[in-house]
Amino acid sequence: MTVCDLRKSFGQFEAVKGVSFTLNKGESFGLLGPNGAGKSTTINMITGLFKPTSGSIVLKGIDVVKTPKQAQKWIGVVPQEIALYQEMSARENLKFWGRLYNLSGMELNKKVDEVLEIIGLTDRAKDKVETFSGGMKRRVNIGAAILHNPELLIMDEPTVGIDPQSRNHILETVKRLNEEGMTIIYTSHYMEEVEYLCERIGIIDHGEVIAIGTLKELREKIEDRSRMKLTIDGAKAHSNKISAVLAKSFSEKEFQIQDNQLTVFQKEPQLVLGELVSSVTETGARITSVDIIEPNLESVFLHLTGRNLRD
Amino acid sequence: MRRIFPILSLNFKNFLKTPGAIILMFVMPVVFSWIFGGMSMNSERNKPVVNIVAGSDEISEQISKLLKKDQNFNWEMAALKKARENVLEEKVLAVVVIPKDIEKRITGNLALFDVIIQKKSQDYLALAAYLQGTARLVSNSYQAADSLEAGAFPHFLAAVAKQKGVTVEKQTIENDSANHVEINLMVVGFAIMFMMFGLSGAASTILEERRGGTWSRLLISPARKFEIIIGYLSSYFLMGWIQFAVLLVAMKFMFGADWGKLSYLVPFASLVILMVVGFGLMVAGIVQTKQQAMALNAILIVSTCMLGGVYWPLDIVPEVMQKIALGVPQSWAMSGFKEIMSGSLHTGVLIKDTLALLGFTILFYVIGLRGIKFD
Repeated sequence: MTVCDLRKSFGQFEAVKGVSFTLNKGESFGLLGPNGAGKSTTINMITGLFKPTSGSIVLKGIDVVKTPKQAQKWIGVVPQEIALYQEMSARENLKFWGRLYNLSGMELNKKVDEVLEIIGLTDRAKDKVETFSGGMKRRVNIGAAILHNPELLIMDEPTVGIDPQSRNHILETVKRLNEEGMTIIYTSHYMEEVEYLCERIGIIDHGEVIAIGTLKELREKIEDRSRMKLTIDGAKAHSNKISAVLAKSFSEKEFQIQDNQLTVFQKEPQLVLGELVSSVTETGARITSVDIIEPNLESVFLHLTGRNLRD
Repeated sequence: MRRIFPILSLNFKNFLKTPGAIILMFVMPVVFSWIFGGMSMNSERNKPVVNIVAGSDEISEQISKLLKKDQNFNWEMAALKKARENVLEEKVLAVVVIPKDIEKRITGNLALFDVIIQKKSQDYLALAAYLQGTARLVSNSYQAADSLEAGAFPHFLAAVAKQKGVTVEKQTIENDSANHVEINLMVVGFAIMFMMFGLSGAASTILEERRGGTWSRLLISPARKFEIIIGYLSSYFLMGWIQFAVLLVAMKFMFGADWGKLSYLVPFASLVILMVVGFGLMVAGIVQTKQQAMALNAILIVSTCMLGGVYWPLDIVPEVMQKIALGVPQSWAMSGFKEIMSGSLHTGVLIKDTLALLGFTILFYVIGLRGIKFD
């Protein structure tokens, strides 16, 4: 799928300002962004719900903007809301959505059974969705999107508000679908989910893609550093001495003393650990613990999008 | 096109699973029609009784027949003594005595009938007016027969009683069928009102679906917009027809209602149901939430039903209100149904009603479809 210079305006407000990216078959792609960054608008344009102001989306050679109905046959969407008929059973829901994708008769029944198995709800198939827990509803929500074997599965925060067991089940299901060849676009505010599932990640903010690549590429792009946290007995009392000793080897930006904690920012902190320990003990302070924290997606995300609160 | 059916069937099944909707669409109109229809039928049966005391001569017999032509009263023959007792016991409204010397009374310009009553009620005033009219008719008949051969009066009277004045007979016939039409119209009125509530409520589920996400999910499925909207609207149309059919059959069994020619009734009722569905769509299109839709529906439906002659005949409201009624679709619907049920079908009137309803229907759909958000 190729998304090229996609733009969408609502009146005077330009929500998406020239988003471009390419997705290979079988790839899993994470789309991240703070609230109001434009990721939902981008997704809605890819699914054909919104017509872009300009730009193009081509999926399997089909122009999604011009012929959305042709493209929608190949797309499965797991919306953020539980978009199901609550008063109907899980099976009835799946059958209804399957019919809209031209499934019928034996084929439909077979697919419904398969999907119920995948989402782990075979034994509750006849129960009304309204009687389900949040996690079970989310699983049916996913089931309705994969019934027709889509080539592209778009998942918009599919694990919001569910228990760890259901979340784990969903992540495993998505991982398996991806391994079986389904292309995935995954959005979530849970960075560890995106880290776990996605080969490539696009970060979108203020309607623009501000970074795109693998997690490794993103880390390199922002030159993020690991953090080494040393807990020190009497760090406050010895802070001046410690600062003076460290200043000989590290720049001011590379360390920080707060309460009883010394944090050192280094690309490879293991290399300076010995020097650091001897410098601190020189001052008479006692180190009680050492933690090395690798930069993760969250730190990359916060680095790129800032720490200011969004609406 | 094949995606229409799953959407239609889904909405229809969901509707049948909603007890509130079933009560509103089927139970309420049947119950209302049964209660109010029953009241009207009883009022038919409870017409005031008037005893006639008459001799067995031909003139008295013919005058009795003449009196019995008025179907606003139940006329019963009785002996004078029994009739008096009936009046005293208030079993009858009045006793009309046809005197044996009626010819003398005519020539002597005296009162033709002796009337025995206990009190001058509203019903008596109507009876008195009728008796005066009948007396004039008898008197005129006597004078007309006087110029003919002797003994011609009873024969003349018999002829009058048989054919009677055109005015009297026409009035009698119209009164009879008009009562049935009024009851049928009342039933149809209830059907329209409850259908408007039911189908507008159903149409506003689109708003809930929009909020819940299923509407968006439908839009991003391969189903086209027209398939989705036809799926929804046809399910409402089907619900409307089932409601109407249930009511027609129920009233036929309960009151033996006559609905006129089906070849006219079915297409006209279909147009009315289509209009009601359009109304629901319009409301769903101009509000944001189901709660707003319910509030607006309540105001619009009750007020337009009042104006449109659903609760009472438009003949009894002032002329200005009758003019205002032309601005609401219910008045055209009621007029069309009245035309079909009366049996005396005036195609011109029905065409006018149909065209007006068609206009409202198109207007509702245009507003509704423009208002429904497809993204």
